[in-house]
Amino acid sequence: MTPTDPRLLVHAYVDGELDPAHALEVERQLADDPALAVERERVEALRRVIAEQLPREGAPPGLARRIEAAVGLRPAPAPARASSRPSWRALAASVAVAAFLGSGATWLALSPGPPDADMVVANHVRALMATHPVDVGSSDRHTVKPWFNGRIPEAPRVVDLASEGFPLVGGRIDVIGRTPVATLVYRVRQHLISLSEVPAGRTIATSHGQIGGYNIVSWTDNGVAYWAVSDVAAADLDTFAKAFRAAEPER
Amino acid sequence: MASLKSEDDQARFASVVLPHLADAYALARWLTGDRADAEDVVQEACLRAFRGIGGFAGVNARAWVLTIVRHAAYTWLGKNRSASLVMVDDLEAVEQKQSSAGAAFEQAPQTPEAELIAKADARRLEAAIAELPVPFRETLVLRDVQGLDYREISEVTKVPIGTVMSRLARARRRLIERIGTDKPGGAP
Repeated sequence: MTPTDPRLLVHAYVDGELDPAHALEVERQLADDPALAVERERVEALRRVIAEQLPREGAPPGLARRIEAAVGLRPAPAPARASSRPSWRALAASVAVAAFLGSGATWLALSPGPPDADMVVANHVRALMATHPVDVGSSDRHTVKPWFNGRIPEAPRVVDLASEGFPLVGGRIDVIGRTPVATLVYRVRQHLISLSEVPAGRTIATSHGQIGGYNIVSWTDNGVAYWAVSDVAAADLDTFAKAFRAAEPER
Repeated sequence: MASLKSEDDQARFASVVLPHLADAYALARWLTGDRADAEDVVQEACLRAFRGIGGFAGVNARAWVLTIVRHAAYTWLGKNRSASLVMVDDLEAVEQKQSSAGAAFEQAPQTPEAELIAKADARRLEAAIAELPVPFRETLVLRDVQGLDYREISEVTKVPIGTVMSRLARARRRLIERIGTDKPGGAP
């Protein structure tokens, strides 16, 4: 098993991996064989230059925070933006309310975050008007999820619900307030469901609502607020939300 | 599901996995070649590690974590960069053939001096490492960037120590040749 080629062994020698007997043997060969000695110099030079030029770097700080949140070691990432909502956003929200307000006004008053609800409905409606409701169209979550890399800071949770009757259509970037968020699009029969994932500074209880004929279900898992919007029946949307929450993140 | 895990598991995860996050990220970055992809891979790997924390034997946490990260990275590569993995089996065959014929060492087209190697800058080194086939690249990175010993690399990459040794030697030889053929400092 042990390679006897001296030019292999010289690597193990440089790495300090040889037992004393083999190390002595390599040292004897190094003394006898100038070519081998040069090889050793090259290997050592390479090791030195790698150590100098490619220092070990730490993990990005946001990564540790996200992972701690994902396993429940930390309640939720608390972005500073949560408290500073720009005033134009309230205006935009009220426009959205004017455009889509239906019989859901009672729910709006109870909702923990009405502007977000309005924005996700507005985004959903806008997407339905567009040529394509998604920026990346794929039923493969391993295509959709990496697409968000570099576009938004947080990797969205993407699950495969095709067997539950909700095939993945794709994903897009929506904007809620000034924050770009990941929105996944699932299909149920002939209807589309938009699911926006908003890194939340607070936990909100699961709530149901309706704005302008669109049903909304929202909940929080691991510091992320999820907003599902669709024109399907409330019961269907609820089934979707339960299936999404119950799904394993990856297999 | 995370919510069913006990606080013991969380504490174990915090002491076993989190200290090696930098190493996990570094390996994922070298394997995927992209920082954002690496974060994705590490996050997936950490969730796997959390679910499997009960299976950790308590010997070498870093090697255990890196093994899971490597697995997650390979899954990711298979989905997103399948071309980079296709060659793994072929590569082993070629390696065997070359090794038995003794061809790899005899040709030695470039033998740059140690001084030239020492002048390589970070960008050229990174580019040269990125060009290595995955099995060579991971072995070199684990040893020369991350400082694992042969036994740990053998555990992480699931090959015998002799294979670790030969892959490392070949990876270094390719790098040395590559740096020797490159013109340093962008000179013509």
